[in-house]
Amino acid sequence: MTDAAGAQEPLEAMLKDEIVRMYQEVADNPKAEFHFFHGREAAELFGYAPEWLDRAPAGAVSSFAGVGNPHERSHLQPGETVLDLGSGAGLDAIIASWRVGPTGRVVGVDLNPTMCLKAQAHAAATGSQLECHEGRMEAIPLPDAAVDVIISNGVINLSFRKRRVVEEMFRVLKPGGRISITDIVSAKQLSQSIVNDPKLWAS
Amino acid sequence: MFRLLEETGFGRVRSAVVPGFRFRHESTRNSAEAFGVKAVMMTAVKPAS
Repeated sequence: MTDAAGAQEPLEAMLKDEIVRMYQEVADNPKAEFHFFHGREAAELFGYAPEWLDRAPAGAVSSFAGVGNPHERSHLQPGETVLDLGSGAGLDAIIASWRVGPTGRVVGVDLNPTMCLKAQAHAAATGSQLECHEGRMEAIPLPDAAVDVIISNGVINLSFRKRRVVEEMFRVLKPGGRISITDIVSAKQLSQSIVNDPKLWAS
Repeated sequence: MFRLLEETGFGRVRSAVVPGFRFRHESTRNSAEAFGVKAVMMTAVKPAS
């Protein structure tokens, strides 16, 4: 590990706590107002099919905190294995499970074990199978070449080590596998005051 | 992000702005605009060999 990476460790730990806190709050208080759109309002904004949102458990829909629609270009096929990186309350993973069908497999990874349990409960309520692992996107808890497709929605921007995240996605994808992600990017270097503030970074 | 994907070895990297994405509050929208913050969708493929 480099000195720079070591110096970031305390900040990264604080960031992890803030991310867990913020997205847990969205799940626990879906009627609260946040600076980002969330829930059904956001999902409809991004073109999620109304029939998906009607069919999914209310808790999965109301906790949705994505920034786009990774399903739009994922082209999921029956039988495929899908990883939802940062699966949250499970809406995207559940939709993926419907698309890959009973011969497919969907794996979620989330920093927050409580959200993993919630996502699995939501999936079970729709008759879908979802295995969710607590873990970090910088060290995805899956073996090499394990999945056909990775979807992710508004999560990678939260990492201080995006290169590491991308390398991990590459590692766990099968040769010929693909990613379909939606995320926040910035055209300009964020100011140090933002980088050093876990609350702002987690936003 | 686009560059990171290419440097890692992904091919057919494509990106497009997410239509409709915006922050709820005007103050956040203004800050985001100042930093060129936007939501994008990205697709890429790991080479088959």
